[in-house]
Amino acid sequence: MEKLLEVKDLTIHYDTDAGSVEAVNNVSFELNKGETLGLVGETGAGKSTVALGIMQLVPNPPGVIKSGQIIFEGKDLVTTSEKEMRKIRGDKISMIFQDPMTALNPVKTVEDQIVEVISLHQNLSKKDALVKACEMLELVGIKAERITDYPHQFSGGMKQRVVIAIALACNPALLIADEPTTALDVTIQAQVIEMMAKLKNELGTSMILITHDLGVVAEMCDKVAVVYAGEIVEYGTLEDIFEDPNHHPYTVGLFGAIPDLDKETDRLSPIDGLMPDPMNLPQGCNFSPRCPHATEKCKTVNPCACEVGPGHTIKCHLFAKEAE
Amino acid sequence: MGKKLLEVKNLKKYFKTPNGALHAVDDVTFTIEEGKTLGVVGESGCGKSTLGRTVLGLLESTDGHIIFDGEDVTHVNKAKFHELRRDMQIIFQDPYSSLNPRMAVADIIAEPLEIFNICKTKEEKEEKVKELMDLVGLDQRFINSYPHELDGGRRQRIGIARALALEPRFIVCDEPVSALDVSIQAQILNLMQDLQEQRNLSYMFITHNLSVVKHISDDIMVMYLGQMVELCEGKELFKNNLHPYTKALLSAIPKASIKSKIDRIVLRGELTSPINPHPGCRFAPRCNYAGDECFSVNPTLEEILPGHFVSCHKVKEINNL
Repeated sequence: MEKLLEVKDLTIHYDTDAGSVEAVNNVSFELNKGETLGLVGETGAGKSTVALGIMQLVPNPPGVIKSGQIIFEGKDLVTTSEKEMRKIRGDKISMIFQDPMTALNPVKTVEDQIVEVISLHQNLSKKDALVKACEMLELVGIKAERITDYPHQFSGGMKQRVVIAIALACNPALLIADEPTTALDVTIQAQVIEMMAKLKNELGTSMILITHDLGVVAEMCDKVAVVYAGEIVEYGTLEDIFEDPNHHPYTVGLFGAIPDLDKETDRLSPIDGLMPDPMNLPQGCNFSPRCPHATEKCKTVNPCACEVGPGHTIKCHLFAKEAE
Repeated sequence: MGKKLLEVKNLKKYFKTPNGALHAVDDVTFTIEEGKTLGVVGESGCGKSTLGRTVLGLLESTDGHIIFDGEDVTHVNKAKFHELRRDMQIIFQDPYSSLNPRMAVADIIAEPLEIFNICKTKEEKEEKVKELMDLVGLDQRFINSYPHELDGGRRQRIGIARALALEPRFIVCDEPVSALDVSIQAQILNLMQDLQEQRNLSYMFITHNLSVVKHISDDIMVMYLGQMVELCEGKELFKNNLHPYTKALLSAIPKASIKSKIDRIVLRGELTSPINPHPGCRFAPRCNYAGDECFSVNPTLEEILPGHFVSCHKVKEINNL
């Protein structure tokens, strides 16, 4: 399969007066054409910063890409000029944000907002751009006659569809969706997920899906990266994460914390404690203060990613022996 | 059967709007026994939060009766309303906006104690606050912290401690874990279950999260646009759900498993307006089974199976009963 995106050792810190916030540390992953990668983790794990890093939208200052490469279609985005990036954003890589209420401009019609992205990136006449905008709206299941409406005239689910229409208007090679269904009700979420899966297949778009919902991951992703305190602690195919018996203790905790609809459990088994402060990460393994299996070694030495199966890596000392 | 603590009969809450009456809660009837939890599920705008507030008396009901511990509390005077707060409390959804940012943790938790003059001395009050903090698993070193210094999980624990300060018997929990991450959510759910066992609390647990509601509830009520569509025991609802909306709602949840692929019922369309609703079933425009009758006649809540109430004209037809 053809490689579309390769992120190598990406490290992003926010340098503030109070200290350096280590939001993303040595993150590496690959994405092939047509694939969907899920980035799963809790608030503050650094998922969104990774996405902003790929888009080169990390607010600077205070955000700084300390090291690493983001190779997209053979070009390193970290060293790409802002002028070049503006051509890529919205055209080859586009992004769907979590909150459709704030992602749209409330004083512009939907028409203006979809036409804007088309006319910026494609050499079309005004009339053709409008035709294309109407097509996009129909594609996401909204009647073209509503194109002159303002965002407030749409419901939450429809607003998110408009955002998706804008993101897909230039047929991007990579779509980054940051919690695209979190703000929606379950029945509307089901509609949006079904539509995104359909469009992805039709257009052959690769996708990075950022979410905290393991259910959404199970439905949409081919590969999964579990993110904790700025690091990928487990990486593998969907089968590796959901079926394989070997897991990072954090992944186990994440699954244990969701009530299962099919099973009867009297009590949930949450992970004790809280995510460490990214300004003050613990020594050794970042998860060690909360880990039930932590040893002395975990508190001093940061583990490497160990391969437990083809393409399935776990960043934990527990699995180091098998690799040796 | 345990002792009935709360009985709600044909409760209605309409809001006046420039376009007509908004039927936020329409003819809702249920009971909650001592030490039990009623889960209320539905999507945003279905009236579940309005129901919670109306039950507590925070909103004046339009019609119907609320009977708490054998006493009709639908319309009460100010003094009685005040007194009822000792027995009925609420935990809010958003641990950010429900705590006064200018008050320290100790003051927030102590406020109900002060209002009811429960503690005679300062020392006694501090003792009580510390006790409550221990109870909800909040480290005592946070006693002088301000809400902005704490994360969402800890803030929600403050909200719970405040609600428990007066030792109530009934708590409305309005989406208490929705704003929290899954691992923190699990900690809070376990805490609430422990507290219920220790203190024989009754909960009305309002949420849109079906796996959470299944986990914590004894009985579950499903609401759609202000009306109750199904009410039964929690386990029964997940095994043997009868209303077409419940079926669609349950099938819409993405499962954290790749083994069980379900046939999803994807609903067409979106919620209709609750302002001056037409007669007939409010779910009919989105229902796959809707017939002429569904668009003209209001369905009534009927006991289809023992202890299992459904409001649907076609329920027998759909489920081959």
